[in-house]
Amino acid sequence: MTDRIVEHVTCLGCGCGCDDISVTVQDDRIVAAAPLCPLGQAWLGDGRIPSEVLVEGRAEPLESAVSRAAAVLTDGRPVLVYLAPDLTSQAQRAALAAADLLGASVDSATSETAAYGLLSAQRRGRTSATLGELRNRADTYLFWGVDPTERYPRFLARYALDPEGRHVPQGRRGRQVISVSIGGDRGLPGADLELTLSPDQEIAALSLMRAAVLGVELSPQDPIVQMAVDLAGRLARARYAVLVHDAEPTAERRNPLRSEALIALAEALNQPTRAALCSLRAGGNRVGAEAVLTSQTGYPLAVNYSRGYPRYTPAERPVERLRNGGFRAALVAGSIGLDPTTAKALSAASTVLVGPRASQSGLKSVVAIDTGVAGIHEGGTAYRMDEVPLRLRPPLETSHPTHQVLGLLADAIRDALRKGSA
Amino acid sequence: MSPTTQLRIVGGAVHDPANQVDGEVRDVCIEDGRIVANVSDSAPTLDAKGMVLMPGGVDIHSHFASSSCNHARRLLPEEHAADVAPAPDLLEDWLPRSGTGGTVPSTFTTGYRYAGLGYTTAFDAAVAPSMARHSHAELDDTPCVDGGVFVLMGNDEYLLRQVAAGERVRARDYAAWLLGSTGGYAIKIVNPGGVEAWKSGQRNLNGIDDVLATHGVTPRAILETLTDAANQLRLPHPVHIHCNNLGLPGNSEVTLATMRALSGRRAHFTHLQFHSYGGPGWKSAAAPIMEYVNAHPEVSVDVGQVMFGSATTITADGPVEYLLHKSSGRRWVNIDIELETGCGIVPFVYKDKVAVSALQWAIGLELFLLSQDPWRVVLSTDHPNGGSFLSYPALIQLLMDRGVRQDRLKQVNPRLLTGSALADGLDREYTLNEIAIITRAGPARLLGLKHKGHLGPGADADVTVYARNPDIAEMFASPRYVVKGGTLMVEEGQLRRAPPAHRLRVQPSYDQQLLPDLKRYFEAYSTVAFDNYPVVDLPDDPLPL
Repeated sequence: MTDRIVEHVTCLGCGCGCDDISVTVQDDRIVAAAPLCPLGQAWLGDGRIPSEVLVEGRAEPLESAVSRAAAVLTDGRPVLVYLAPDLTSQAQRAALAAADLLGASVDSATSETAAYGLLSAQRRGRTSATLGELRNRADTYLFWGVDPTERYPRFLARYALDPEGRHVPQGRRGRQVISVSIGGDRGLPGADLELTLSPDQEIAALSLMRAAVLGVELSPQDPIVQMAVDLAGRLARARYAVLVHDAEPTAERRNPLRSEALIALAEALNQPTRAALCSLRAGGNRVGAEAVLTSQTGYPLAVNYSRGYPRYTPAERPVERLRNGGFRAALVAGSIGLDPTTAKALSAASTVLVGPRASQSGLKSVVAIDTGVAGIHEGGTAYRMDEVPLRLRPPLETSHPTHQVLGLLADAIRDALRKGSA
Repeated sequence: MSPTTQLRIVGGAVHDPANQVDGEVRDVCIEDGRIVANVSDSAPTLDAKGMVLMPGGVDIHSHFASSSCNHARRLLPEEHAADVAPAPDLLEDWLPRSGTGGTVPSTFTTGYRYAGLGYTTAFDAAVAPSMARHSHAELDDTPCVDGGVFVLMGNDEYLLRQVAAGERVRARDYAAWLLGSTGGYAIKIVNPGGVEAWKSGQRNLNGIDDVLATHGVTPRAILETLTDAANQLRLPHPVHIHCNNLGLPGNSEVTLATMRALSGRRAHFTHLQFHSYGGPGWKSAAAPIMEYVNAHPEVSVDVGQVMFGSATTITADGPVEYLLHKSSGRRWVNIDIELETGCGIVPFVYKDKVAVSALQWAIGLELFLLSQDPWRVVLSTDHPNGGSFLSYPALIQLLMDRGVRQDRLKQVNPRLLTGSALADGLDREYTLNEIAIITRAGPARLLGLKHKGHLGPGADADVTVYARNPDIAEMFASPRYVVKGGTLMVEEGQLRRAPPAHRLRVQPSYDQQLLPDLKRYFEAYSTVAFDNYPVVDLPDDPLPL
């Protein structure tokens, strides 16, 4: 069979959202893709997914499975609705319609990963930029406890250091790079200046840098103060400085104040120069889930609809409540990467799975409907780590697009609730 | 009621200024979603006897469906918690959605609240092209109000390059391509050149002949280029201009200089209140500004009235938000958007005891009251910058009721009001017909919406019915009936149906020879593939040009 090539496929293997992938398809399988990093390779795979519709483990027509799912969820309140990262924004919107009707609690990958950063930005704002501003404008980088090459493999080549930008025509040679390692969170190797801090020095160092940027006279006897004053001077003399950190958790136990301290430093740097904070985010469309939750509810994560309107519960994360047996039923939209405790809790509840490989999840579920993966089998929108919405050109198809299944489910829930209240 | 059924609204006093109807008692008939001359005697009726009928409200300048709004929503959890919005009690077949309010309500709630106010059309006035995909998703979730987006171009890298090279025809072609690619409706300029100056370290441009160092262009050249582009493309709405120096004392000089620079060209100047400050120090320059507007029929404006209370400032004008953050100490969001524009957000409270806030409030009212042509001076609060759209009824009351206005004036800080026309006594009271002009007929005409803003045969059946009330604010806050496209949305003051909204957009033609150069530019500098950039799968066809 003749190969079919699909250009400009968007990869969601990490938060970089590279949309320059050329994918070769043969017999409904992905046989080649380029340019592709290891994370992209893992994300795309060969594109093969199951297409089963199961009720209690047995094949059923879609319509009856949706009907059963609606009954399970309307009878099983309180309900958890979980938005996994491999959904299009269109599917996320449909899942929220179901959650609203059910009075459910909604959680996503964010609440257990990047919540600190979002909450910090709510407390004090933020100064940021889209990745193209980094590429075209930034002449000084501070990599704070992060080497993007492993978890964001094309970040440096596409956005940060290497490209010849509009205002940085010399590319890497036109950029000063500073790297700070913090304990096990290693900075970028090969920087123009490489420094190391112990975790207990981190927040003090950031605070001192901010003070120096704002013109506070600091006594330079202490080596940390010296370092902070030097770094602050380098950043303040930049034309456009970018602080890069990893907003996703690492194996290293991180000071929860890091996000806020970096926000404060980036904000202060806008007094002497221009500066932005770049928060690296992981793959899938997790940033899209935050955008959809925010636009429909006002809150980016941990939303509870049980009183008939959205409430914000960032301190009481719904997944944590699930682990404590707080939900009788759950709708998992997308494919969830689960730790054993959460998997056990989901299996104990009446669970509906609508997502890629739902039938192969290993979870005990009442209903499992296989759908496609955002950007591989399903078109629509996904958000890059910097909140730029990207078009998805799926190289493959699915018989059951997630947003359609979830739309049918929302309609069925509405009908079931009306019958129940009639 | 589905849009295919007929309806006769009986016995209301009709204010349809586009058709020279000023309070005449007559029936308004609807069929298939349009206004018609008559319907059969068996058509269902709505009793509007003793009530006031107007076309549905049209908001020419609001911020409710953009990535910037979403950044603002995220910044305001405390506002949302204080203003919850349970799902409305809609009739069967309509899926009701809950949400939250505050100065930047969630999407569905925004649509419901506009409908509850009698508005049926609204435009988001500032959308970064690369974020247009997000705006359209928000509009998909904003029922009840037909609408669209204005696309930010006044600091766009490719546009600035064409201006610098004197390539005004190519700049026009680019503007056309950008509107079509983003599903936009109009060209928006925010602080021409000043946002790029902010991003590049020059901080700002303060006069229209200041030179943007990175490109060697002036605000004047940007303004002329895009104003001509909009007019030559025969866009339904002319260029929509947010001048340089927003919010700064003495900025009326640059506002007037901008108007003079574009003299003879059709142009819309937005949130004029924020650009009408005399100097030195803080004082009103509403009189000279309105003197110019009154004398130049090619100029239209919306006021951007400040209303006392909570607001959230949201703008592409990055430098002004930095100044507001530094002067107020409030939380600040700044997002620099690659190759295109900026985004700044600072939550704010206008207090009547604060002299500058009181002056801003007074200047907005002066602009309204000194206007000689209501068709060219539109009601807006630059929602949510000067206040929420929910404050429109209170603003209408201030315009229609001199007594209420004078009582309110006595309560505000008078320190900066010496010599202001309002403090000296502007006795004018707007009539109902004038209100109908500045809230629906005028903006519809300025937007080139031939089927909206009036009740003549063929118009969209967007109708608002108000029960008379001596309290004008109450009257306009709670319409008895609201119909959009023939669907009775508000019935006896309650939202009962929430139809999806229509998308209003244009797709001007352009010389295809633009594309090879544009593609090379994308490959050199953009982080989004050229082929992936356009927004696809938009609802509704573009409006014919």
